[in-house]
Amino acid sequence: MAKQQSILVVDDDPEMRALLLDVLRNEGYDVVEVKDGTEAVLALRARRFDLILMDKNMPGPSGLDLLPGFRRVCPDSQVVLMTAFGDVPSYMEAVEKGAAEYLFKPFRMEELKAAISKALHSDVQSRP
Amino acid sequence: MRGQWTRTVGNRLRHNLTTRLIILLALALMAITGVNDYTRLVHEREQLVAQTQEDERIFAETLALAVRYNLRRGRTTDELTDLLGELVARPGLVATVIYDPDGKVVAQTVAPGAEAPAPDDLVRQSLTQREPVSSVMDGPSGRILRYVQPFRWPAGRAGAIEVQQTLREMERQFRRAVRSTIVSRLVVLALFVLSIIILTRWSIARPIRALVAAARAVGRGDLGQRIAVPRQDEIGELAAEFNRMAENLQTANAELVRQAEERLRLEQEVQQAQKLAAVGMLAAEVAHEIGTPLNVISGRAEVLERAVPREHPERRHLDVILSQSERIKGIIHALLDYTRPRRPTLRPEPILGIVGRVASILMDRSQRRGVRLQLDLPIGLPLVMADPEHLQQVFLNLILNALDVTEKGGVVRITAGPHPELPTDGRTGIVRGKATAPTLAIHVIDQGKGLAAEELNHVFEPFFSTKGHGKGTGLGLPITEEIVRAHRGEIEMLSIPAKGTEVIVRIPLADESPAPVATEEAAEHGH
Repeated sequence: MAKQQSILVVDDDPEMRALLLDVLRNEGYDVVEVKDGTEAVLALRARRFDLILMDKNMPGPSGLDLLPGFRRVCPDSQVVLMTAFGDVPSYMEAVEKGAAEYLFKPFRMEELKAAISKALHSDVQSRP
Repeated sequence: MRGQWTRTVGNRLRHNLTTRLIILLALALMAITGVNDYTRLVHEREQLVAQTQEDERIFAETLALAVRYNLRRGRTTDELTDLLGELVARPGLVATVIYDPDGKVVAQTVAPGAEAPAPDDLVRQSLTQREPVSSVMDGPSGRILRYVQPFRWPAGRAGAIEVQQTLREMERQFRRAVRSTIVSRLVVLALFVLSIIILTRWSIARPIRALVAAARAVGRGDLGQRIAVPRQDEIGELAAEFNRMAENLQTANAELVRQAEERLRLEQEVQQAQKLAAVGMLAAEVAHEIGTPLNVISGRAEVLERAVPREHPERRHLDVILSQSERIKGIIHALLDYTRPRRPTLRPEPILGIVGRVASILMDRSQRRGVRLQLDLPIGLPLVMADPEHLQQVFLNLILNALDVTEKGGVVRITAGPHPELPTDGRTGIVRGKATAPTLAIHVIDQGKGLAAEELNHVFEPFFSTKGHGKGTGLGLPITEEIVRAHRGEIEMLSIPAKGTEVIVRIPLADESPAPVATEEAAEHGH
């Protein structure tokens, strides 16, 4: 069996984290959850993740603020950003800063799974 | 009282032109005819005198013949006196005297009241020279013409007969001629003055009064006023020129009214857009706050949905939860769509028109605030790809901010050019958006307190305001950023604390713009 793909969930809302954890673990991913940017940085120092699923709006540095640093520190980790729907400017900025996918809350779990598998798929392709 | 006085003076002035013309022409006419009449009357008088003299000569000669004939018959002096007495009936005859060769009076008749003539030098001169002599002398009742005619006295000597005739009749005739001349001249003068008055009233005063009335109407604001003067002369020209002026005034006025209406419409639109944008920002905030819990609810329901078989009796509760979550999502979507500014329709536009219109809207406000709004945009800037209404909102927000933070007496400048105007020393900056095509950069520079690097990082976030409570909503810059991004442009904010802030908006150029500035700008961007 191939090694489990790992996901770091970064969201300040505990209920949202719990939901994402349940759904993604159920999908067979190795999931770690943190509640903000600082914890995310610590987690990324400790190990690598195939994908970072991150809320845009958080206390402290926002998802958009963290994005460039993450792309630099761990360029092979794909980033999927989540934000409120209708936030088109953030979407454009996120794409500019190198986010692989973008989810508008509230999204369906099917959308989540599709976005994550798509991001991970492009990750495989982008590797030499 | 005062009004009446002014009116009287006004009337006098209005009539002045006609009066002066009449006086001038009448004087000229009087001078010309006066000289003519004078010479004619002098000539007439001479003729009258000559005619009287001639009459007297003929009378005296006839009388001399008669006397000579009677003397030759040996008539006595008494008889001669009778003869003369018969002749005194001639009108105007004052005296008739017959002198013998020694100059003694032989016979005489004298009109009643007249002085009896005595032989004098004139008579003696005539007797010795045997020539007729005439002269004029002043008598008690007017001038008298004397005529002395010598005739042959018996025994080869010469006697003389003197006829004295008054010139009164002639002078009466002359006076009558003078009187009639004066009367006829006065009649001619009166007719002349009358005709000038009528003429000037008709051809000058009347059209001028029409002009004055029309000018007054235009002055009151009735710009549709025109004068109908179908004439080719100077008055007609003046009327035509007046009509042209009124036409121009009307056009200019209509343009002013149109501009004012346009400005009002624009201001209302901008206000409406700002109101909508504010609601939109609030809606976005609500959407964000609701998004996460809604996501948790629908997500959990989805998880359950997979665990509960379709035919389970309680499955419908899950379906309702999911459909109602979708409904909430739909409501927020609709609210956002309603308040979100529509997509801009980009087309080649001159930036000067867009910025100029905003500057003209804010001119009043800047004057009230005592801040000078200085527009330093050169003519001939290249066209940009823009939606004027959206881009106007960008500059409205930026210039409004600049005016608000600049102290009284300061200047807000709007310039164009590739390089920032603020010096690099102590300058921090932030760029939002990324332009990939060549752009035109417009700078809005204020003389406010400036922003610290920390503040600068948050200025584009909703509800972040440096103006303090009750002054700014904090919505301006996020909206501005969104619009600039929608134009595929970028917005840069540079600031030096205590010195000022410069906002640079870069908007992509329209492809077909051939102006030299465009290539310069493009080259600048390439580096």
